[in-house]
Amino acid sequence: MTQQKPLELILARNLMSALSTPAFLVDEGGVLVFYNEAAGMLLGKRFEELGKVGADEWGSLFGPFDENGEPIPYDDLPLVVAVRNGRPAHADFEISSIDGARHRIEASAFPILTAHGSQGAIAVFWPAASSNGAGH
Amino acid sequence: MKVKLWGTRGSIPSPGPETIRYGGNTSCVGVTLSDGSMLALDAGTGIRSLGLALAAEPARLHILLTHLHLDHIQGLVFFAPAFRPQTEIVIWGPASPEASLRDRIARYISAPLSPVEVRELPCDVSFRHCPEAEWEIGPARIRAASVAHRGPTLGYRIDDGDSSLAYIPDHEPALGADLDALEEDWISGLGLARDASLLIHDGQYADNEYPDHIGWGHSSLSHAISFARRANAERTVLFHHDPMHSDERLDQLADEARERWAVAGGREGGIELAAERAEYELPARTASAAPAS
Repeated sequence: MTQQKPLELILARNLMSALSTPAFLVDEGGVLVFYNEAAGMLLGKRFEELGKVGADEWGSLFGPFDENGEPIPYDDLPLVVAVRNGRPAHADFEISSIDGARHRIEASAFPILTAHGSQGAIAVFWPAASSNGAGH
Repeated sequence: MKVKLWGTRGSIPSPGPETIRYGGNTSCVGVTLSDGSMLALDAGTGIRSLGLALAAEPARLHILLTHLHLDHIQGLVFFAPAFRPQTEIVIWGPASPEASLRDRIARYISAPLSPVEVRELPCDVSFRHCPEAEWEIGPARIRAASVAHRGPTLGYRIDDGDSSLAYIPDHEPALGADLDALEEDWISGLGLARDASLLIHDGQYADNEYPDHIGWGHSSLSHAISFARRANAERTVLFHHDPMHSDERLDQLADEARERWAVAGGREGGIELAAERAEYELPARTASAAPAS
């Protein structure tokens, strides 16, 4: 029988699909289950081409890198903080698109909390307004 | 499993000469399980007639509420078994971070909206939040899942032996989504409806009415048909009729539904519009859900 995604994730994806703000969606296990067209333009690949990406893969697929060009530890990424700790998180860093281009962005992530606990997290991205390095 | 529709109308009771055949009572479906035990799905005004029709007073009744909009609970204080001390009634419904199910229902069953309070009901009534995991009532396995509507809203799936009923009366799965293109696990409610013997699903709006009601929590005819096709239900009954739709208008929509169902490759007799007092006896999944009357 089909295992339906939690409704909150379904509605989040539907909302993200309609936004021009780049946005990522991960499930409660940290699996990247969707990103929208705007994020796809930033990354150089549509989600439909890539498909869902495991929790231990997506962090390294696009970087991210700190102000010194060093990879940011997976555990420090805003989406990971949001989904693991159930807390909002914010950071600015560089990501690498599929073609190798670097983009400095700010990312804000927040958890999707339901009556049954955390179901995942959403992160939205903007071009960085400053270069303060990764942080929460 | 036997299913009888006691109220098929959405939003507000719509009695009158123009709604005689499809009915004017709001949502209520009676389900008789294979051991004879009784469930009521929603407690719209149709539950009043269900209560009056229960000849042999069951010792225990379960009422499964999809949500607490008035058209789904309005009949509760007119449900005769609730006024009999020998009856035990278990009311199931969606949890909310705001207040318990009992407290939220008590907002309706209290002054000034009601002449009685919950605590004054003579029956033994209890309130339970639907669990996330499947649970059992008699011989049936019950599953509830949140579905796309306004406010905390559930759809239900009831499996009894080899037959299954999916009940999703208020549902807008196409809100911001392309039902024909999405993967199955991303469609609200599809996990409940998949391969059901009988799917009772929202079909409130004609296609030309839907654009003025996007986000109201209900389906257009096209969306309901797409959902039913994706669900691969044996038989689909379109439910929660708009109060503005007369019998004549619903006849037109029924014709349109059948034509489009056929064009979409659906099996003949696989879709129809809900009519008050219609009964269905659900056999095993391999055969059709034949109407009992």
